Amino acid sequence: MLKFIGRRLLQMAFLFVLFLTILFFLLQAQPGDISSQFVGNPEIPPEAKEILRERLGLNESLWGQYTTFIINFFKLDFGVSFTEYPREVSDILLSRLPRTVVLFLTATLLAYWMGFATGKLVAWRRNTKLEHVVTVTGIFLYTVFYPWFAIMMLWIFAANLGWFPVGKFITPSVWNNAPFEANQVFNRMIVVAVLFALFVGVVWYLTRRIGDLDRRKWLRRGIAAGGLVVVAFYWMGSDMRTYAADIAHHTVLPVVTLALVFFAQITLLTRSSMLETLREDYILTARAKGIPERVVRDRHAARNALLPVTTSFVLALAAVIGGGIVTESIFSWPGIGLALLNAVLVEDIPLAIGGLALIGLLSLVGHLIVDILYTFLDPRIRYS
Amino acid sequence: MTSPSASADTLLGTDNILEVDDLTMYYKTRGGYVKAVEDITFDLGKQTALGLVGESGCGKTSVAMSLMGLLPGNAEINKGSIRLDGDELVGLTREELRERRWRDIAMVFQGAMNAWNPVYTVGDQIREAIRYHWEPAPSVEVANARIAELFELVGLAPAMLERYPHEFSGGMRQRAVIAMALSCDPKLIIADEPTTALDVIVQEQILKELKKIQDDLGMAIIYISHDIAVIAEVTEQIGIMYAGRLVELGPTPEVFADPRHPYGLLLLRSTPSIKGPRRKLAPLVGEPADLVNPPPGCRFHPRCPLAEERCAQETPVMEEVSPGHQVACFYWERTAELDIEGV
Amino acid sequence: MADQPSNVDSPPSEQPESPDIGIVVEDIELTRGQIIRTRLKLAWRSFRKNWSLFAENKIGIVGLGIIAIFGLMAIAHPILMATVWSDKKDIYDPVIGTDAVIVEKVVVVEVTDPETQLTLQEAQLEGELFASPGDIVEIPLAPAPPSRDHLLGTDPLGRDILSQLMFGARAAFTLGIVAALVTTVLATLVGSVAAYHGGLVDTWLMRQADLILLMPLLPLLIVVAAFYQVGLIGLALILGILGGLGGTAIILKSQALAVKVKPFIDAARVAGGSSRHIILRHVVPNVLPLSFLYMMFEVTAAILTEATLSFFGLLDIEMSWGIMINTAHTQGYTLSGLGTWWLLLPAGLAVTFMGFAFFLVGRAADEVVNPRLRAR
Repeated sequence: MLKFIGRRLLQMAFLFVLFLTILFFLLQAQPGDISSQFVGNPEIPPEAKEILRERLGLNESLWGQYTTFIINFFKLDFGVSFTEYPREVSDILLSRLPRTVVLFLTATLLAYWMGFATGKLVAWRRNTKLEHVVTVTGIFLYTVFYPWFAIMMLWIFAANLGWFPVGKFITPSVWNNAPFEANQVFNRMIVVAVLFALFVGVVWYLTRRIGDLDRRKWLRRGIAAGGLVVVAFYWMGSDMRTYAADIAHHTVLPVVTLALVFFAQITLLTRSSMLETLREDYILTARAKGIPERVVRDRHAARNALLPVTTSFVLALAAVIGGGIVTESIFSWPGIGLALLNAVLVEDIPLAIGGLALIGLLSLVGHLIVDILYTFLDPRIRYS
Repeated sequence: MTSPSASADTLLGTDNILEVDDLTMYYKTRGGYVKAVEDITFDLGKQTALGLVGESGCGKTSVAMSLMGLLPGNAEINKGSIRLDGDELVGLTREELRERRWRDIAMVFQGAMNAWNPVYTVGDQIREAIRYHWEPAPSVEVANARIAELFELVGLAPAMLERYPHEFSGGMRQRAVIAMALSCDPKLIIADEPTTALDVIVQEQILKELKKIQDDLGMAIIYISHDIAVIAEVTEQIGIMYAGRLVELGPTPEVFADPRHPYGLLLLRSTPSIKGPRRKLAPLVGEPADLVNPPPGCRFHPRCPLAEERCAQETPVMEEVSPGHQVACFYWERTAELDIEGV
Repeated sequence: MADQPSNVDSPPSEQPESPDIGIVVEDIELTRGQIIRTRLKLAWRSFRKNWSLFAENKIGIVGLGIIAIFGLMAIAHPILMATVWSDKKDIYDPVIGTDAVIVEKVVVVEVTDPETQLTLQEAQLEGELFASPGDIVEIPLAPAPPSRDHLLGTDPLGRDILSQLMFGARAAFTLGIVAALVTTVLATLVGSVAAYHGGLVDTWLMRQADLILLMPLLPLLIVVAAFYQVGLIGLALILGILGGLGGTAIILKSQALAVKVKPFIDAARVAGGSSRHIILRHVVPNVLPLSFLYMMFEVTAAILTEATLSFFGLLDIEMSWGIMINTAHTQGYTLSGLGTWWLLLPAGLAVTFMGFAFFLVGRAADEVVNPRLRAR
């Protein structure tokens, strides 16, 4: 299995270099020289321009420029932003990275969790009204024009009902004279969430050998609930609580909106995957064994239906990244996608290319994680 | 032992573990009713083995599924009764049937390849059967000890129980399937094409082991196969099915040596025998009957070399031709002629 | 793409009676006319059979119905421009036409009904510098709500929404069909060639497809559209090429692999057919039904992508549904909601329903091509 992961890592690295190469030629082929873009920029002092030319290797041959370009990326040196000169592109992007990752990750997890549960039920109750309603709604959500859908969500839940703030990451009035930076609070929130997830994972692992399924289930739920209470107490006692609550309040709507569309896709996928699985012989075996139908559905059919759904993440990833950019734009969520869009509109080329490269890297990493996850889900790969 | 629905036979204490009377089961499809099982009647004695043979699509698996209570939603038992150890099974709720499955009747599936869920260990899947049928549910350790015992019985290393199905060979998978079938001490095991996917040598071994296990543990077995020769050695009785009906039922040696139904004879002669005397193979011409619109009268008549007008009008009933040997054919006495002509 | 046909390995059940399986062997003296007639008859028969399977599925018919409505809109627009609207081109042109709907409002100190009243300041902003409270002033209104002249109202620049919507239908069809055609032709060829030749050619083409699948498409297009002038056809070509070399090629290749092992391919090879001949005459026709299916999904994807890019204002396109939403968005009508429903609702629903319709047709066709998906 380590060998498998190692091979995938190598492949990914190779693909990333290819991706960068495409970006490089995209840059080269664009009308005009990149240097002319900043040579004419009055905000950049002349002495800095020569340093910039040096860093981009613009004084060298095409091959030299290419190698400089690639090497700079691996040093996380994306150059200097034109519009926010002299801020480093990597600095801008890295400060935005957590926000984008949290948006993608929570939306993805939420969508997978709900979509899988719904698709499973729908396939199990084939040819019922429920199935038709869910399928048509799912197709509608899948083909809905996402920017329009996001605007509608914003209008209904923020502007009209007022349940959530109208976009943005924080409410400025709350943060007046705040003793913390928004990123500081946000990072703390991420750390707490990750620790909690780890705790739950460890509990799941330690209780896996309990034979009595009911006892195991309640034990796990009890401990997880206990963990949640501890987390709640932690935030109550923290002086960051108002600020954390403000950020959380801003996070809900964009995450739910992005998750909804993605959720439809997962539901449809799970449904067809589950219908395939239900034809397998081992489902008949499971039924013949006289175990409850619910167990046949969840432990046998759904567990196997999960495999193709996981593989299909490749296709879903493109959708969730595209959707993420639109979400960031409409909800003014200051992530990498929004940075990319703004950079493109003001022709801040280093920032645009840096953002694109980082998104490409994110998608590769997401892909790798799913690959590794898959090996855990399918023993046929794990033990070969 | 006695229950309100128990028949007089049971009260008198017959040795039958299973009594099937007039069992009729149809599938409802868009094209009409598929008459998969019609008027099947047979008894199965305790600790005995019965073989059900016939071409694919003749309804043998449908009989097995009716016995298991595993019919799909579009299937319907129209009439008849199934009594297992005196208890009526027809008319039980899904939940009652579920509780009985594997505890009373277990099954060894055809094509052991896909009978195992690929994502769980074999031990895990057997434990699942135990967990839902043993009272009270045993701990993982107790269950594992039992599975290890069973593995030894079927000739598998006990350590294999923590392995995944893809790590087993075809024969090993089939042995594990048998171990799983034994895990809840069922009264009856239905073996549906238990050896079809395996090579000849493994086939022999597995059938012999099943026979030995049956002798040791004393349950009844119903073998289902398209190949008489395979099950002739392990059964006491053979029933031959054609197009959803039982056409011949009798003691294995007699049916095997001297089939009285024309279909039984042709079926037997259409397969080569390694052990019997050398003879030419007789072809079985024509297509299997359409079960939505089966031929009137005797369902075999369109393909039967002995068919007369009467066969297309009346349906022959089972008739005893010698003690314990029944045939559903008007002209069973002439079947023997066919054997000579066919050569 | 969600819910793709899951068994791409199995050949489609209803293959069009492809002419190459050897027409009527016993009678070689067939005239050309007879051959053509036989072929037409076979094609018609297989079409009727597939159509009845397709028509069983209500969702496919619904999809076709929606597409037909949009098709009518697209056709009607140039006709209307030439007839009913011909003398009012400056009003009804979807891009440059403009019509300030004039409304009369009373100048008041405190506005109680914004439909009929406005403050002095607002009046002055509208150019009525000498108005005083109590006066009735004539105000040009844009966006204007639906009226007899403008059935769906006007946009913030005073352009007719209905005209834009109909023009947008034409743009969507052009884009969707060009992109889908390019994808299908490319993917069929790439898939067939990769499957037929195998080896290095296959490896190369499939790794290339993997790369395209892994690339974040939308961000890449955003950057490309910003660096270059990308128009409607340009975008259609880019999407078509990326689709044709990417995911669709992988799926069609597995279909072509199933065709490749069929006996008639061996027969053609034994008969001395060149690779080119065999691929074009034997493999490709048998992959076509599935290609056609993926065309439908590609149309959906292309329309949604164009609308998204237009929404960001990145494309070099005069008018499309995405641009309509972009106009409303950039002019600050994003959250005005039902008050200016005609700005966001028609265009948003048009994009959604167009994508929805093609997807439905694709799914219904999927059930024709993949019998295993059919409900029994």
